[in-house]
Amino acid sequence: MKVNVKGHIRDLLAFKGLVPRRQKRISRAPAEPLGLDPMNELAGQLHPEIQHLVIAGIRDETRTARTFRLAADLDSDTGELAYFRAGQYLSLKVEVDGVRITRPYSISSAPFEALGADGFYEITVRRDGNGFLTPHMWDHWQVGTKVKSSGPCGFFYYEPLRDAGKIAGLAGGSGITPFRSMAREIAHGEMDAELLLIYGSSDEDDIVFYDEFKALERKAPAKIQVVHVLSCAEVSLEGCEQGFITTDTIEKYADVDGSSFFVCGPQAMVRFVARELAAFDLPDRRTRWEVLGEVKDVTSSPGFPQEVADETFRLTVHVGGVTAEVPARAVETVLVAMERANLAPPSQCRSGECGFCRSHLVSGDVYVRPESDGRRAADKQFGYIHPCSSYPITDLEISVPRGV
Amino acid sequence: MHRGGPAFGSVVADSERKRNGVPERVLLLTPGKEAATEQVERACQGRRRIGVTQSPQGEVPEEDENMAERATRQELKKAYDCVVIGAGNGGLGAAAQLAAKGATVLLLEQHNLPGGFATSFVRGRFEFEASLHEFCDVGPPTAKGSVRQFLEDEIGVHLDWVEIPEAYRLILTDPGEDLDVTMPYGVQEFIGAIEKAAPGSRESVTNYVNLCQEVVEAITYLGQSKGNPDRSVLTKKYANFLKTCPYTVDEVADALKVPERARKILHAQWTYIGPPTSRLNFTIYGAMLYKFLVTSAYIPRQRSHEFALALDARIRELGGDIEYNTRVERILVENGQVVGVVTSKGDQVETGHVISNASPTLVYNNLVSPKTAVPEIALRECHARVNGLSGFVVYLGLDATLEELGLNEYSYFVYANMNTGEMYETFKTLDAPKAQAVLCLNNALPDCSPPGTSIVSITTLYQPEVWKGIGPQEYVRVKNRVATDLIADLEQATGAPIREHIEELEVATPQTYARYTGSYNGIIYGYEPEPWDSLIPRMMSMQDEKHCDGLEFCGGYAFRCHGYSSSFMSGQTAALLTFRDMTEKGEIRQ
Repeated sequence: MKVNVKGHIRDLLAFKGLVPRRQKRISRAPAEPLGLDPMNELAGQLHPEIQHLVIAGIRDETRTARTFRLAADLDSDTGELAYFRAGQYLSLKVEVDGVRITRPYSISSAPFEALGADGFYEITVRRDGNGFLTPHMWDHWQVGTKVKSSGPCGFFYYEPLRDAGKIAGLAGGSGITPFRSMAREIAHGEMDAELLLIYGSSDEDDIVFYDEFKALERKAPAKIQVVHVLSCAEVSLEGCEQGFITTDTIEKYADVDGSSFFVCGPQAMVRFVARELAAFDLPDRRTRWEVLGEVKDVTSSPGFPQEVADETFRLTVHVGGVTAEVPARAVETVLVAMERANLAPPSQCRSGECGFCRSHLVSGDVYVRPESDGRRAADKQFGYIHPCSSYPITDLEISVPRGV
Repeated sequence: MHRGGPAFGSVVADSERKRNGVPERVLLLTPGKEAATEQVERACQGRRRIGVTQSPQGEVPEEDENMAERATRQELKKAYDCVVIGAGNGGLGAAAQLAAKGATVLLLEQHNLPGGFATSFVRGRFEFEASLHEFCDVGPPTAKGSVRQFLEDEIGVHLDWVEIPEAYRLILTDPGEDLDVTMPYGVQEFIGAIEKAAPGSRESVTNYVNLCQEVVEAITYLGQSKGNPDRSVLTKKYANFLKTCPYTVDEVADALKVPERARKILHAQWTYIGPPTSRLNFTIYGAMLYKFLVTSAYIPRQRSHEFALALDARIRELGGDIEYNTRVERILVENGQVVGVVTSKGDQVETGHVISNASPTLVYNNLVSPKTAVPEIALRECHARVNGLSGFVVYLGLDATLEELGLNEYSYFVYANMNTGEMYETFKTLDAPKAQAVLCLNNALPDCSPPGTSIVSITTLYQPEVWKGIGPQEYVRVKNRVATDLIADLEQATGAPIREHIEELEVATPQTYARYTGSYNGIIYGYEPEPWDSLIPRMMSMQDEKHCDGLEFCGGYAFRCHGYSSSFMSGQTAALLTFRDMTEKGEIRQ
């Protein structure tokens, strides 16, 4: 076979001319430095590695709940705050008594409030007595305190392409925070969805954002509805349900078949609601879950080897160019063990989901809670773990990427 | 049970295991302890390597050094034979090949895991592939393609490869178009299927495919000749290859008189490379098509992340070091020679060789330091070359099986028509492009998602500049609008009821690719291979276009052009060139 494209000789000459033509093209091109890179610029705006924030206001919501308003720290290179989707969280990077840790907090303010030069985020925190960071926030955070944070992250947001047009929010305690963000966004006309919030509290005084949600209901009566469920014996507040968020309560208020259920709260509440929701036999696509706080008692998780519950193991950590040996208790995550030793490992969601802390398990065994095992298939095959959801059950050696 | 260890909050550096700052794994995991010891000794000799014998921060450890402080700094070893920038397919290939040759290698990656675009992520019950994926040129164990040869025979990586069931199904959707064909692998099968769909095309298509075969054979010959081909062999044996090198896909198809309808089927894979067939060089397209037909396509059973992790593990076994979350900020050049790199973590690593998986565009504009070390001609090259496209992917975790949805093929091309120039224009507006490539992963890997579910991804392309005006506030709205239209186009073309089965959904845009890889403008393809900037002219210009001694490129921007397999194999080439340079400079003792 003999192929001629434009004639035998012309084709051969064209081949000979390939490099000279290339050189000519290059010599005629400008020698200016590279122009802008708008996609990396947009990535930096949407997903900054670090945001330098400063506390701009503090407000007590109830006896145990406090809202911190965070603005961009003008002394830093953080200009404007990253925009987000209602329901996302910030991973705060703080130092408590010389130990560097991260903590995820749902953003309780609305996305539109983060925009512009005066933009802010709010986080609303409940003091439950035995936390590590919360007492520190209460005692030491004041207007002007500087706080470092990640960009907004997490997937607990309304997605119109996937979800039903009605959101049925089931919240307990500080689990109301992502729904406050959604409700404010809806009332402001920025988000096109209906929100029914069924919110469980222990008693009247315990309800966070009671007045505010009343106002939001008045502002957008066709779109926002709140039902309070109080677990105390006597309920005097008008229109409240007594007890817990049960199948009956849900059925009474929610359009079960026409809604996407968003559940957010402490572990015990989420576990309870999961059992109640099971009665409806909903497809998985109709439920979204966000569990707040570290796992309280890992020994009650299915498959946890009880015989090691009281043990403390030796954890050898390779990070960057150094190796450290630290103690690691079986009932605390590998991440917490590294933080206690101030190794400042990377972390974000602290629930196994985001993979930010992903590390190589060189030797040893860990227990991973099945419901918080967010690893890729190949990661499991090649011995990678997410330290934030892994508990040591032998001595361990791990290799950890350096933190951001 | 902590055997009298330290109290919480304190840190001990394990001086026994980390003596002289040489990590234990280098001593234990290289092939044979002698080779390892020799490597370390070698690393400790010579001007650029003095740091290795010292502590990680380059000073002899003081007795009273604050160990917690040291743990905080976490600085890397000071010197390597070569630093590889970026753990995409190219960087992984380069680092593995160099480590296998016995060089000390440090692979630096700004993200927290390897793979570059060839990676995956988890949402709910689903694990999605980040980019359209399948490897070309793997082939069965009995007839290894170059990818499998490199992996198994050169660097000792064995993966559980799964063959893709068929080449592709092409559906044209414009009114008046009546093409819907499923194409098999195998040269004769492929030609036969085209003849069936476009009667009377057999002869011209056979000539076309034969020409593609000659192109592949010629490229193989060029590779074997290591840059010194015999001119007479080229002109006698591979004349058609030489003569078609300067032309586009359209020009060659015209010359071979391939009928219009057959051409539509032949050129369906144009979106894998990007430019319309009026600008796309025939050599690169023909080689890709022929390799697909002969060696088909494969994916690792645990998918692209398995590929990346197997290489990561092998690089470490061979004594290489890898650091994630570590971005190279500067490549230090003195008197035209690479002397080191500086990272985002403050590491200063001495090295005489850098292989960059990052593009020349980024390297010459942002990384080489000082700026005066970049000759003007390097910047002119960056401007002359045509930037490739970025991607836009809708990832769908569906709560129905592919069978229930009626999606029976693994790979679909759904195009409005095969006027590739017109399709390319739709990559330049913010409307949903009229060309999409769809992967139905469970048709290759039935167990890739839980029973009763399936994974479908819709990929299209964008010129990233189009997204420039989109601010953070409009971003989600725009990407959801495009995603909605793409899903609707797919539903219409296939009849599959997708919207009602979405359990998990994620959308990647050029911004997403920029975010995770740092590539310029989120571009996922390398420079567009127009005839003047395709494989052969790039090869012939490699020496002339080398602007820093000790600097090589790999990945989609390198001479082999883009694609999973090409990017990976370019890593091998860059490593071998670097190794030859090291040997010639006497840096490596044979």
